Amino acid sequence: MTHPGLPLLWATIIWIFMLALALWALFSKANLNQAAKHVVLANLRPIRPLAKYMAEHQWPLQLLKIITVMFFLLVIYSGLEGTQIPQRNIATVLTWNLWWAGLIISVFFLGSAWCAICPWDTLASWIIRPKLWLKNKINNSLELTPPRWMRNVLPALLMFTGLTWLELGVGVTTSPYATALLSLLMVVLATLFLAIYRNRAFCHYICPVGRTIGFYAQLAPVELRPVDASKCAECTSLECFNGTATVDACPTQLVMGRLQQNTYCTSCGNCLQSCPEQNVFWRLRPQSTEAMYGARPHWDEAWFMLALLALTSFHGITMMEFWESWISQLARKIGDSGQLLMSFSVGLVISMLLPALIYMLSVYIFQRASGTREKFGRLFTGLVFISLPLAFSYHLAHNLNHMIRESVGASQLFYNPLGIDAKPVDASETILREYHMLISQDVLFVIQALLMMAGFWIAIRVLKHRAYKLVPDARWSLLSMIAFIMGVNGFNVWMLTQPMIMRVGALCVAPAG
Amino acid sequence: MMQKIIVINSIATEKNSNRIFSLAILLTVMLLISSQALAHHVLGRPAYSLNEDSNTPPSMEVETQIGDYYITYMVFPAFPKPGESGRINVYASRIDNGDSFDGKITFLVRNNGWFEDKNEEVIGTQEMYDGVFRQGFLFKEKGSYIITAKFESGGEPYTIDFPLQIGESSSMGPVGISLAVIVIALIVVNIIQRKRIMREKIRNTRDEME
Repeated sequence: MTHPGLPLLWATIIWIFMLALALWALFSKANLNQAAKHVVLANLRPIRPLAKYMAEHQWPLQLLKIITVMFFLLVIYSGLEGTQIPQRNIATVLTWNLWWAGLIISVFFLGSAWCAICPWDTLASWIIRPKLWLKNKINNSLELTPPRWMRNVLPALLMFTGLTWLELGVGVTTSPYATALLSLLMVVLATLFLAIYRNRAFCHYICPVGRTIGFYAQLAPVELRPVDASKCAECTSLECFNGTATVDACPTQLVMGRLQQNTYCTSCGNCLQSCPEQNVFWRLRPQSTEAMYGARPHWDEAWFMLALLALTSFHGITMMEFWESWISQLARKIGDSGQLLMSFSVGLVISMLLPALIYMLSVYIFQRASGTREKFGRLFTGLVFISLPLAFSYHLAHNLNHMIRESVGASQLFYNPLGIDAKPVDASETILREYHMLISQDVLFVIQALLMMAGFWIAIRVLKHRAYKLVPDARWSLLSMIAFIMGVNGFNVWMLTQPMIMRVGALCVAPAG
Repeated sequence: MMQKIIVINSIATEKNSNRIFSLAILLTVMLLISSQALAHHVLGRPAYSLNEDSNTPPSMEVETQIGDYYITYMVFPAFPKPGESGRINVYASRIDNGDSFDGKITFLVRNNGWFEDKNEEVIGTQEMYDGVFRQGFLFKEKGSYIITAKFESGGEPYTIDFPLQIGESSSMGPVGISLAVIVIALIVVNIIQRKRIMREKIRNTRDEME
């Protein structure tokens, strides 16, 4: 069973929009002095009482944590004990159709809020530093400093690639049992890291979900920041960093006064509660602000962002019908058998390297064409932020398709989460689900098209701002970078127009077409 | 192990009574071939489906690629219980021209448990009938088994292993291992912390004495 792709009309509209915007980008100059506007949520009259209450009390967050942990334990129990029919077991549906797809959508509205209620870290904390309300008294952690080689996002990148391999290559998404095993593994890892290292080394350096959310959160409309930056500049006690007698220190060791990007913020709200001046609060901002000005370039982060771009497109590629015949042909050439994991792995590596190489070539051409004396490395890390909106918009559009079409009837699973005596989904039920989508197909297409256009628009804005800052007279030399953005977005739009194989529903044996 | 398994003779010879069933199988194979590209998204992973007659129990099927052949095997019922007879259907077609393999396939079985006897035993050797190799089985005890289908084509040996779960699987293994790892970690951390505290006390005492 496949999902119908975006109609050609919409693809044409997006392409025309992209061409027009590309021309505008070439002929107009960037306004580097543009200041981003922020709105402190606590100052918004209608939601002020609620925002203040949520900030001052811990119980709402603790309650949410308990709820997510309960769902998480249900996933493990159902996965291990329930039916192995993936569409009938809540473990696979809740994990892959609802959570995994919905998580990215949540970043669009709430940034890294998921990290604050993540059950992996919550369970690990309950085991290693048990507490419910106040600062923990018991500490089963060795509190070692993570080794230097670990203190970057490359371990998280490796984990993210591994997760993609398990998801799409091994097919964890189609196995409730494997889903439960993966869930258990993540809790064990989070617990071990918390038992060995200080703060939240797992969240900071290892967690593939947390880092993915973190990078995408650069494009979120919310941020946790100082209300008055001058107060932070004068602060010497740094309660946000060190914690207080009742509130834990920042789990990822961020100093609020110097915070420029959401990447490592887990939205736990410790800083908000520990600040004696009550100078930290949630703010609203334009979604492009951080990728344009705030975020600082780093080598490891640049590779993570490129990998994010590559892996999101790779997700789409593996759900295209041509992917299977490619892998099959490759398997025959290299003598691969069975689940064709070797061929899949080769495909994965190529899919990750190709966008990175094209990006490097584009940056190299930009460097040559502009005649700048800036080093290649500086341009590479400085311009890589363009990949974030491209990856995020496609990821959102792709996941929306999964969620809207494949989550129909998911609520029924709560009556029988283990799928006891449930029969597999047959072709007629699969087709019937297509007719009962959460929103109409036309609305879905409109949202997908708008997302792809917004992603392109933000990428162009980020490029102009970052490029002109690095090379003030860039102008025509931007052509190679604009071509890169158009190429990536154009390819992603093309993928959206293709019929897409269902994530869990692919298991149904259905007539072709 | 042979005591646990009663091999049911191939049902391929019961031509008349199975003609309609064979046609249904053929239709299913045709549908499978036509939708191969879709189902291969989860190559090697089990898929569960209902037959056209939804009163029959669901079946499990797995598609895989080995050498020059696409292999599809189906298990009826999808979740066999101890003492319940079941059947494995294997379809083998060449990737290049779609021709079915027309030799013989030998089916073997072994235990898949960690501490179980790993000796393989032959269940039976089957010939193709209507493009399908059918092998019956009946397990008296629950457990995790590996079924192996072996054949030769073009002088090359082909071996396909696939797991078969009889009865419910135990969830205590993964949960137990996870808990054991966490408990061991907690014990090790506590031992190291006690040593740290002891060392700290000794150092303090030494400092006070000096």
